[in-house]
Amino acid sequence: MSRFIFPKWSNPLRIAVGAALLGGPLYVVLLIAYGTHAQTTAVGYMPRQPVPYSHALHAGQLGIDCRYCHTTVETASFAAIPPTQTCMNCHQKVRAQSEKLIAVRESFTTGLPIPWIRVHDLPDYVYFNHSAHVSRGIGCVSCHGRVDRMEEVQQDQPLTMGWCLGCHRNPEPHLRPVEFVTKMDWSPSEDPALLGKRLREERNINPSTDCVTCHR
Amino acid sequence: MPPVDPTPASPPTYWRSLEERADSPEFREMVEREFPGEVWESLPPATRRGFLKVMGASLALAGLAGCRWPKEEIVSFSRPAGYTPGVPLRYATSIDRSGVGRGLLVVSYDGRPIKVEGNPKHPGSLGAADAIDQASILDLYDPDRSRYPISREAGTRRAQSWEDFERFVSGRLATARTRRGAGLAILTEATSSPSVADLRRRLAESAPEARWFEYEPLTQDNERIGASIAFGKPMRPLYHLKEAAIIVCLDADPLGADPSAIPHARDFAEGRRSADQGSMSRLHVIESGFSITGSMADNRHAILSREIPAVAAQIALGILGAEASSLALAAGPEPRRFVAAIVEELLAHRGRSLILAGPGQPPEVHALVHRLNEALGNFGHTVELALAPDPERPTHRDAILSLAAAIDAGAIETLVILGGNPAYDAPADLDFAGLLPKVPVSIHLSLHENETSKLTTWHLPRAHDLEAWGDTRASDGTIGVAQPLIEPLYGGRSPIEILSILVDSRPLDGHAIVRRTHGIDGDDSEAAWRRILHEGVMSGTAFPLEMAAMRPAEILARFASLGPPAGDPGGLELVFRRDAKVHDGRFANNGWLQEMPDPLTKITWDNAAILAPSTARELGLQADDRVRLSYNGREVDAAVYVLPGHAAGSVTLNLGYGRTAAGRVGNDAGFDFYRLRGSEALHFASGLSIRKIGGKHAFACTQNHHTIDAIGLRGMERRLGELFREADLAEYKAHPEFAKHRIHDPGSHQLYPPHDYSEGPQWGMAIDLNSCTGCGACVVACVAENNVPVVGRDQIRRGREMHWLRIDRYFRGGEEAPQIAHQPVACVQCENAPCEQVCPVSATVHTREGLNAMAYNRCVGTRYCSNNCPYKVRRFNWFNFHKETSETEKMGMNPEVTVRGRGVMEKCTYCVQRIEAVKIVSKNEGRRIRDGEITPACAQTCPTQAIVFGDLSDPESRVSKLHGHARAYGLLEEINTRPRTQYLAKVRNPIPGAGSPIPADGLEEHHG
Repeated sequence: MSRFIFPKWSNPLRIAVGAALLGGPLYVVLLIAYGTHAQTTAVGYMPRQPVPYSHALHAGQLGIDCRYCHTTVETASFAAIPPTQTCMNCHQKVRAQSEKLIAVRESFTTGLPIPWIRVHDLPDYVYFNHSAHVSRGIGCVSCHGRVDRMEEVQQDQPLTMGWCLGCHRNPEPHLRPVEFVTKMDWSPSEDPALLGKRLREERNINPSTDCVTCHR
Repeated sequence: MPPVDPTPASPPTYWRSLEERADSPEFREMVEREFPGEVWESLPPATRRGFLKVMGASLALAGLAGCRWPKEEIVSFSRPAGYTPGVPLRYATSIDRSGVGRGLLVVSYDGRPIKVEGNPKHPGSLGAADAIDQASILDLYDPDRSRYPISREAGTRRAQSWEDFERFVSGRLATARTRRGAGLAILTEATSSPSVADLRRRLAESAPEARWFEYEPLTQDNERIGASIAFGKPMRPLYHLKEAAIIVCLDADPLGADPSAIPHARDFAEGRRSADQGSMSRLHVIESGFSITGSMADNRHAILSREIPAVAAQIALGILGAEASSLALAAGPEPRRFVAAIVEELLAHRGRSLILAGPGQPPEVHALVHRLNEALGNFGHTVELALAPDPERPTHRDAILSLAAAIDAGAIETLVILGGNPAYDAPADLDFAGLLPKVPVSIHLSLHENETSKLTTWHLPRAHDLEAWGDTRASDGTIGVAQPLIEPLYGGRSPIEILSILVDSRPLDGHAIVRRTHGIDGDDSEAAWRRILHEGVMSGTAFPLEMAAMRPAEILARFASLGPPAGDPGGLELVFRRDAKVHDGRFANNGWLQEMPDPLTKITWDNAAILAPSTARELGLQADDRVRLSYNGREVDAAVYVLPGHAAGSVTLNLGYGRTAAGRVGNDAGFDFYRLRGSEALHFASGLSIRKIGGKHAFACTQNHHTIDAIGLRGMERRLGELFREADLAEYKAHPEFAKHRIHDPGSHQLYPPHDYSEGPQWGMAIDLNSCTGCGACVVACVAENNVPVVGRDQIRRGREMHWLRIDRYFRGGEEAPQIAHQPVACVQCENAPCEQVCPVSATVHTREGLNAMAYNRCVGTRYCSNNCPYKVRRFNWFNFHKETSETEKMGMNPEVTVRGRGVMEKCTYCVQRIEAVKIVSKNEGRRIRDGEITPACAQTCPTQAIVFGDLSDPESRVSKLHGHARAYGLLEEINTRPRTQYLAKVRNPIPGAGSPIPADGLEEHHG
């Protein structure tokens, strides 16, 4: 039996095969790098808002509770953007003539809402529910980061499905007593692992990883 | 194993269509291909150029997909609105249809009404809403609705403003007032509104010479006149079907076409469920066409409508004896065979029986039926009486006749038409469309610029019932209040607001008018008013029941002198019927209704000349043949639908189609049978002739679509049970578990590891086939709840309808006198789901709670799942069906459900959005989910409560108990799919020993 000899015309194929062997892994690496890059997942996304509202000032220095403005976070899927009335509760007296607040006063007189730009924007086929998380003891900070230090709000976490599932599969490190959910700088006074386990058992927290939990 | 011959030796026990019964090649193809027709053939031939074009487009799209999605704004209410954004609220309201109020609860999502449900506190709805009620959401957002007043002068159409109209009409009114209203006429559709009645009274004070007409094409007037004959005044009968052990319907359709169909159906279902306690009601139906009630009958006799008075006389002879001897002539020489048995049954159930006559039957029949119910002692038990509202009102027929005469005589100078569409639906002999231009000033208020609007000098846009204040009265008289769910989208106004312009020196808005009518306008009335709005009804406002004195001699004398029906007795009989979808034609522009398959014929987007197989054979006609119908010098072209079980020699014509100015959806759908309908016979007549004109009409009929492959099933050596199982009462009593034992299931071995169902609730559903009337309310509920698209006639013809829930309609028995069986089929959420095992991308997966979930955003559209689904409940988006959804219609979509795009498979998920919503709330509140707290849209709206949903892991839940019920069986459970939906077998109650014309079930019992 004679040895098999590749025909001459197949020589250029060697280059192609070599390129594929070298380039394939490179392509995969680049693809993953691109997919997980902060710019792709929009971490750090910080659009310019119509009013230069500072969370660092209000939530941080002044210590206003998140729920003073985002009133529906414990009862509804959507953490409501406050009506202009909420701003004017204080700003009718405080800095009533500030130039930065022109848009707010305008909205208050015309009745037209302020067109804030959405920062945390999930795809439309994701049905996230704030109340389900807050009432189980997931702190605001877990998803939104240290908003109390943000001059302008930016996206802190990737908000990808893998990131969601990470917590749904292992919620214990993110659990805290419900009374501290809005406290940005809270840290457990006991062993976090034990506390998480205890809170999970106490409140029967079994986050679902079924598709329909978020996609309907 | 020898090859199995799939050809059945005999026709199947249950069949969907005459094609299946004959096992035609077309039907075989439908079963095998699921999506028939030129699916691939219609694609353009593949070319290199075409390929490059497609690939180039995909590359461009791939590039775009890498970008972040567009910047999104997020806005708040500028001032607190007092409610939580994103949390739907329910508001009670009521709407009027043909003079009967219907109580609704409307779900409003951030100020947008998105779903209509029934108001449990309203006696006319009891928490359920029928298909038309629910589809009113789509009418509200209809982009074809008119948007501004229009004036027409000498052929020029001019857009106007409301101010223009008010200016115009005030001048006109000033002249009319000086003449005490002479020359002014109002024509309304039937309305139960107390506010309209109040404004009418005020109009009569300020303009006593003004004339008032009320016309409705589908009228219950024969019932009114019949009661007037019997009692001397128009009494309204109120039926209690629950109390009746024997129900005899003479061309009556109390469960389908009747304005009170919902409470009737609820009552009727109660009387059937008692089969589990050993006794149930027996329903005899004698009718010409197949009605919903007829499909529920234990004994049904299809005879001509014109022969039904004779049957009534024969029953009267049997019950009244010598007293009714004057009816001997009307009864004819020989009574029908079935009459004796019915009479015997009625006499044996005095006080617990009920006879009903249909709205098409002459008044004399209604009067006689009252006499019979009285003789049987049924008054006060199964039927009660209340004085009908507006007792002085002439009949709708007389009203439109006298209006036409007045117009012809030139006596009408200003005609205000509030709603209705007389140019389309008035009796053909009046030529109302020809008369209208004779009126110098005619003003028409309607939702659309319709046939009538185009002939009037002014058209005014009407506010939809969900946009306006108003009030209604239910059949029993209970007052319901209508409150607007949204500001008028197109600047419309309501009929009472238009009347107020005519009547009040300073026109009031709807809110003020309604409060004035009911005297709730003082300073201290706010709390009471708010309570009424919250409830939606004013309690204690039902008509007082009274037992009027009967006039037996008058009844018999009138009946004896009853003449023959109109028309030449030689030809075919034609019977006009209300359509279950478009009613009298006013809902023709509603895509949800057009696309809902008719409960009996399963036709969508059309009506037809419906006739019996034997009649078709006699006339040499076949299904879909185009024909010309001639009657009394009038002609209409139509197409034939052959319906097994229809009375021979009769042709049923559903009204309401063939509109020419309905809008983009309703135009050119079906045939306009109003053009055959004259004032001499509004309901049925003789003398119809049918002539073939060649060609076939392409009906979009779903009766053979998504057929569960019974041919293959028969091939599997009868290892599978019938899909639909039923028994008669005697068999049920002897073998309560008959449904399970119809088939010997040796059990199957599980190849895959079973899912873990130990944690959390386990969802399941039970559907009681004994209660289901096939009305289709659940189909529309599902469409509204789940953003199911409307696909259009052409797509339906290709088997691409998107309904997640279909109602399979089977015939059983011979083609001349079959029984009908309705079976709602949606995804049964198999525990061992064939679809899940073939999905290459895990887009359909199982949840811990037993749902067969669909992750739409993962689906790549291989359609393997649909191929592998034995129930044929998966629906594929062949196109982006929502592409042409208008901006207004988008407002009516459910934001809790993903809108699916092209290339995505979808199906029922037990309304998982409702499940998740309740789960989140109950867990936030730290409690268990209560049984009945979650109701899928179909279960919520079922008039007979045939669908029950709940947690199977709770042995006390209603659904658990139903799954353990003797009648429970799983569809195709022999193939080990382990469906979570169980059906409860149907029980019929034919006369024992009377000899059922139906052969015994095809599958003999064998016990293993």
